[in-house]
Amino acid sequence: MFDPYKALYIHVPFCKQRCAYCDFATRAVPQGDAAINAYADDMVLSIRRAGKQGFLGSIETVYLGGGTPTYLGSRALTEILYTLSLSMHLTDEVECSMEANPDSLDERLVKDVWALGVNRLSIGVQSFDDRVLGILGRVHDAEAAKRAIEIAHERFENVSVDLMCGIPGQSQESFAASVRTAVAAGVTHVSIYPLEIHEGTPFGRAVAAGRMPAIDEDLEASYMEIAEEILGQAGFSRYEVASYARPGFACRHNIAYWTGVPYLGLGPSAATMTQNATRRMRKQDDCVTDDLDARQMRVEDVMMGMRMSQGVSDELVAHASELAPELVDVLDGLASRGLCTHADGRWRPTERGWLCGNDLYGAILDVAP
Amino acid sequence: MKTADPTHIRNFSIIAHIDHGKSTISDRILEMTGTVAERDMQAQLLDSMDIERERGITIKSQAVRVDYTADDGEVYHFNLIDTPGHVDFTYEVSRSLAACEGAVLVVDATQGVEAQTVANAMMAMNANLEIIPLINKIDLPSAEPERVRAEIEDALAIPADDAILASGKTGAGIHDLLEAIVYDIPAPQGDPAAPLRALIFDSYFDAYRGVVALVRIVDGELHKGERVRLMATGQEHLVEEVGVRRPKEIPCESLTVGEVGYLVTGLKDPAQVKVGDTVTTVEHGVKEPLPGYREAKPMVYTGLYPIDSDQYPDLRDALDKLSLNDPALLYEPETSHALGFGFRVGFLGLLHMEVVKERLEREFGLDLLATAPSVEYHVYKTNGEMLSLHSPQDMPDPGEIEHIEEPYLKAKILIPPDYVGAVMDLTVARRGTFVTMNYLSQTTVEMIWELPLSELILDYFDKLKSNTKGYASLDYEFDGYKPSKLVKLDILLSGKPIDALSFIVHKDKAYDRGKVLCEKLKEIIPRQLFEVPIQAAVGGRVLARQTVKAKRKDVLAKCYGGDISRKRKLLEKQKQGKKRMKSIGNVEVPQEAFMAILKVDE
Repeated sequence: MFDPYKALYIHVPFCKQRCAYCDFATRAVPQGDAAINAYADDMVLSIRRAGKQGFLGSIETVYLGGGTPTYLGSRALTEILYTLSLSMHLTDEVECSMEANPDSLDERLVKDVWALGVNRLSIGVQSFDDRVLGILGRVHDAEAAKRAIEIAHERFENVSVDLMCGIPGQSQESFAASVRTAVAAGVTHVSIYPLEIHEGTPFGRAVAAGRMPAIDEDLEASYMEIAEEILGQAGFSRYEVASYARPGFACRHNIAYWTGVPYLGLGPSAATMTQNATRRMRKQDDCVTDDLDARQMRVEDVMMGMRMSQGVSDELVAHASELAPELVDVLDGLASRGLCTHADGRWRPTERGWLCGNDLYGAILDVAP
Repeated sequence: MKTADPTHIRNFSIIAHIDHGKSTISDRILEMTGTVAERDMQAQLLDSMDIERERGITIKSQAVRVDYTADDGEVYHFNLIDTPGHVDFTYEVSRSLAACEGAVLVVDATQGVEAQTVANAMMAMNANLEIIPLINKIDLPSAEPERVRAEIEDALAIPADDAILASGKTGAGIHDLLEAIVYDIPAPQGDPAAPLRALIFDSYFDAYRGVVALVRIVDGELHKGERVRLMATGQEHLVEEVGVRRPKEIPCESLTVGEVGYLVTGLKDPAQVKVGDTVTTVEHGVKEPLPGYREAKPMVYTGLYPIDSDQYPDLRDALDKLSLNDPALLYEPETSHALGFGFRVGFLGLLHMEVVKERLEREFGLDLLATAPSVEYHVYKTNGEMLSLHSPQDMPDPGEIEHIEEPYLKAKILIPPDYVGAVMDLTVARRGTFVTMNYLSQTTVEMIWELPLSELILDYFDKLKSNTKGYASLDYEFDGYKPSKLVKLDILLSGKPIDALSFIVHKDKAYDRGKVLCEKLKEIIPRQLFEVPIQAAVGGRVLARQTVKAKRKDVLAKCYGGDISRKRKLLEKQKQGKKRMKSIGNVEVPQEAFMAILKVDE
């Protein structure tokens, strides 16, 4: 027996073209490719099957990510969302997010997905600077990005944009301007991602060949500070390492990942986390990627919780300490190193704990690896 | 098994510069004489350790009895003594040679005469051995046997008209070699009726029988059941077993004059069986041992520390075990504020050190941290005492020091004439004193230098090789202690002196070394959550400083559903990386930091 899933993730593994930094599970296919229809058919079956098994009865948040969900086109998206609304209670209380790319988001699609229950759009803008977009290998330009936000706003109140920093050729001014443009465009949520360079991507190869500079962590740190400053002044609060929201617009689905809520993933490479009080298992493409006992699980909850500004409560730490008594000493040690603080019954990361999160999380994970 | 007729015994070594193919020639001899069936043939059979085989070097001497039916129809017993091919083991080589009447001098047909060719040939000549020159690797397209033949004659004054042209790889020339061994190498002399004198030229440890000594009978006979005395230590023991190695050990009743074999006395402590010692009988024994014995003396010292302090007992056991087969390996416990419990270990040289460290890590599963190698300094104190200093940590306060002496070497360098200038520049910069220079041939110059050992164990040899495009070869011998203006250079991390990073350096070099080392450490020490100042200081005076800036960002921003498993793995990997580092105070210091001094470019 395991606890009911509360979050559902649907992975869409298609894009118009792959970006130069991308290492996600996606591939470029032509519009209307047979693979898209085959995928939609499979997904419809998967959703119905999950529904019949009772996996969707307690779902509180849905997230369609990718890839580029909007690239599926109206017809395939309609099939999937319609099936979803038949298989679960896709009411307004359910946060239903969808990722979108500026170039594949049009008025028709906005209206269709809204009608079918999607209530949050996350637009992959990355930058409002055409030069930077060119370097990233994005298919859209800044104008298209602004227009996409406008179109989204015709139906959606809850619109998020992703912005990237630390891109070679990007200046601090360019990044700051992008952040300000996002604020001015009236979005309710912004995610700030420092560029990561992965092997096997065009960027990875360019860095390996010395054609592109390696990541400059100092520079990325200053970008993250710039974002914090501009967004803070504009009334956003940073609720996680990379996530900023106006009050009431934090992404509930993502918070589920950081608070140990069980989730179901459908589609290729989508991760599923199944658990009860004594065991937690994560699976991806039918492979078990983690199998944790109660001790590891409770310590992991503390670790993941420290990604968020709210941190973790004394109760959660006490719960984990029952099985991992050394945890409090470790947290005290981290506090003395300036990575977290303890106040008002909660352990919270400091700014430094955010920027040097691997030290913070690594030390906690070490308690029950 | 009956004892051999001395007139049909031939005892010989194969000597060569490293990599000239000594071990493959040995293997071919074993194969061609049918000593080892072809199916049991493993490349480089006599190199029994994995590391020996991998690195293509011989560390331990080996002796094998081979029966050869010569073209004259007679059966000859060959004792082939394979010797270590590295300058660290010169003493072992000299003892092995003392057990022989002849030597096969292997010279690479592409490389020609090199420093150890000269050194080994000299040693063989000093031991009055008959030398058979052999030009190896003639199958290679770049082989120049005629040039090499001329070099052997010019540089070594060994007639090389009849030098054997051979290939250890194809087996060409091996038959000629076997015949030459029969006809050119004299049969052993010695008096079978005289009191026993047997030379120990190597030993190894067997878990069941204790120490097994490899011996050459110089005079008399050695019988099973007899009581013998090891003359250097005065120990008396019963001969439990004698025999010959072919290469399997075959026991026999006795060994007679001229023979090479093994001896088991039940002795458990390898330190009691010393290479170069003489075995004689307790009754009617000789009074005078064979000449040439000396104690194996470490030249290079390093601190070995387990990275995980729980492995300290394992390290001790491993050193105990290794030293059973390696009496030259000396060690004593040492503690360091920075590194905890470990051992100060003495080695014959740098290769010996590397090999031992590698064996400890590989064969015993230890993760070790080695501090920069040091030499034995003699510190004369104002109170008249002399301190043998193996570790910079033990350096007394400057006020207590009258003067310090350091070990010097006589180094022999062979190079083509074009590189004389390059070697001059390098060696003078390393405090070398030029002694003399000889043209051995038109293409080979021999330079003799006096050089502090401490300079050699830095990267002198690497630098010598690179400054001469790989042409230089080097041989050296210990040349005594000389006074030197030496100081202890301390390295401070975050203001605290790190004992394991301190080292002893010539006063005039302290500033440069300190500066470069600080720069090097700045590259090696990863950025931490806080700033780490690095300082080099002598007697509290800071000579150089660098700072490792605090890291500002180390986090992956994206962490959603599928990322969590990946992230766990990443954090675990990061932790494995940290395990390879030593936490000193709160600074994580990678292992390379302790060896950084060796990589200091000037």
